Amino acid sequence: MKRRGWVDALFIFPCALAFVMVIIFPFFIGIYYSMTNWDGVNPAISWVGLANFTGMFSQPQFLYSFMVTLLYTAINIVLVNVVGFLLSLLATSKARLRNLYRAGFFVPNLIGGIVLGYIWQFLFNNVLLNVGQSLGIGFLSSSLISKPNTVIWAMSFVNTWQYAGYIMMIYVASIQSISDSIMDAASVDGANYFKRISKILIPMMANAFTITIFLTLTTSFKQFDLNFSLTNGGPAMRFMGKAIRSSQLLAMDIYSTANGLNRMAEAQAKAVVFFILLVVFSLVQVYINKRREVEA
Amino acid sequence: MKKLLSILIAALMMVGIMSVASAEVAIDVFQLKVEIDPMLQEFVKLYSEETEGVTVTAETLGGGADYGGAIKAKLAADQMPVIYMIEGAGGYDLWKDYIADMSTCAWVADTDLAYYSPEGKPVGFPIAMEGFGLGYNADILAAAEIDPATLTTFSAVKAAFEKLDGMKADLGLDSVVSCGTSSSGGLWWVTSQHVFNAYYAGYLDYNDSSVHDNCLAGVVDTERLTAFATYLGLLYQYSDPEILINGNYDAQVAAFAAGKAAFITQGNWIDPNMAQLGAEFPMGYISHCYLEEPTQGLFMAAPSWFVVNSQATPEQQAAAFAFLDYMATTEAGANYMVNEAGMVPAFKSVTQLPSGQFSKALVEASARGGNYNWYFGQNPDGFNQYTLGPIFELYGVDNDLDAFVADVTAAFASIVE
Repeated sequence: MKRRGWVDALFIFPCALAFVMVIIFPFFIGIYYSMTNWDGVNPAISWVGLANFTGMFSQPQFLYSFMVTLLYTAINIVLVNVVGFLLSLLATSKARLRNLYRAGFFVPNLIGGIVLGYIWQFLFNNVLLNVGQSLGIGFLSSSLISKPNTVIWAMSFVNTWQYAGYIMMIYVASIQSISDSIMDAASVDGANYFKRISKILIPMMANAFTITIFLTLTTSFKQFDLNFSLTNGGPAMRFMGKAIRSSQLLAMDIYSTANGLNRMAEAQAKAVVFFILLVVFSLVQVYINKRREVEA
Repeated sequence: MKKLLSILIAALMMVGIMSVASAEVAIDVFQLKVEIDPMLQEFVKLYSEETEGVTVTAETLGGGADYGGAIKAKLAADQMPVIYMIEGAGGYDLWKDYIADMSTCAWVADTDLAYYSPEGKPVGFPIAMEGFGLGYNADILAAAEIDPATLTTFSAVKAAFEKLDGMKADLGLDSVVSCGTSSSGGLWWVTSQHVFNAYYAGYLDYNDSSVHDNCLAGVVDTERLTAFATYLGLLYQYSDPEILINGNYDAQVAAFAAGKAAFITQGNWIDPNMAQLGAEFPMGYISHCYLEEPTQGLFMAAPSWFVVNSQATPEQQAAAFAFLDYMATTEAGANYMVNEAGMVPAFKSVTQLPSGQFSKALVEASARGGNYNWYFGQNPDGFNQYTLGPIFELYGVDNDLDAFVADVTAAFASIVE
């Protein structure tokens, strides 16, 4: 049967139209708005050029949000992947109840981020606090989300608790695809457990690492819901001489600029910067990881 | 076949014409006070049944949700409500192209709390009167032999705090004051809006906005601000640090309701919570006293206003005006506002009294006079939450009065930059 170009085009059309209307079109409108003084309501819009872009880099809050988001992302890439990997070893081991572990570790991922944030807020502010105070554990005797220097770690901990199970599933799939005979051959050759993991398992899982590091990088860089319900940007701290919110990650800073301060165009400019950063970071990461895959 | 089709089309057109002829005017109310949603639903149902040709529906956005963002979304979706709410000058400036003049309405003559546009036109229907001061538990004060009527100056309040603090164990108190200021607990507004309003409005005539006007012009009165900061520091010092830094609304209100704190920095909207928590002890308000000049004035105003969308059809606007008139001037409307929703009505003709103790205290203070207005709603959008909020929270942690005064001064200076 002869294929006709216009028939193909007709089949693609509904999808292509939706894609253009909800992704491509708003994307370019967004870039346009980022160079205006749009407030979301007033139809009188005037062009301000790059003022929104230059302005944001003199705001202590934005600069701090930027730094703390990088820190949060770095912590989470390490923490989520290390924990996820260790859980996957446990879930693929010959331990009893391993299927139960597998399901159990995955369950936190099924709870929505907003709900999770409120649950952990209660745990940090009440349960852990009372445990810490009655047992005299120093670092728990004041709430971990009430101090600027611990709040990012507390958030990372909750994020790991939620997300490591999901990452574990990817590792589990990857480990199961490695033939047992390779591992058996290695152990016959005298490689101990840690040697087998570091010399065989990890190199053979390189493609899984590409995926998991990409996922953890992008999700923690874009973190919003947990941030919103767990800390709402607090506690306050001093940075560059100004009182700012110490756990307001970039996505939440964009949200606050748009909906709190009602500076829609400036928020849009921040979103454009956010987009570019995310694309650059994730492309670099995928490039580096892919090279490792080729070597393996 | 063709004939059948044309009959069908003709019939359809007839249906179309008839439905236009008997057109009902449908208006919708979009509001954010979750606590009154069931009562408002009942009231609009009652009104729709009583009024021929008009159907009113009400929609409430859930608590803590982003109301401003939600109206923008409705506008973008071409579903702009006919009646919606604004909370002050920020909202008015943003939505002024969608706000109708209500000079012709009967309710305007019946209230002092309407929202007026800069041109002097009444445009906002006051939803209720709300107010606050420093709420006290009269039983605890009586047990400590403190007469609340004497707590009218800073030194009197300070002495009372010190006395209560020394008797905490005897009185069963966790702390003297129940106050919260954290953004993670969602209580930033308690201090950076309400308590701080004492700086804008305290010790001034009800309509004297000079201190706040100066703030908006970038200038603060350092002496007044320092006195206020000393008072705020006192509130912080005698608060439970867990509630101050981590606590949410429930924790703050529960501590007071359980008799674990003698004072609370909340307004009359906690009356329903007091009833739910079974707090039956006598309670009332003193002012926020940060100077030595005696005052009993409370801070009371309409916190939000209903406005009518001027871009709705003329029929819808007329129906909306009639609906608001009905709410303000009829017995059914008064019953809804006072008995059902438990609000302090903003209308002079309403004689029914609310049942909550703090609301009653407001009505009494209103009759006594010498009260103070609210100005925080006129600050730029987000200023109270994102600029003042962290400053007030930080002061609760580091107790650095000079830094607080410098931060607030710089914050207002940044408005005019």
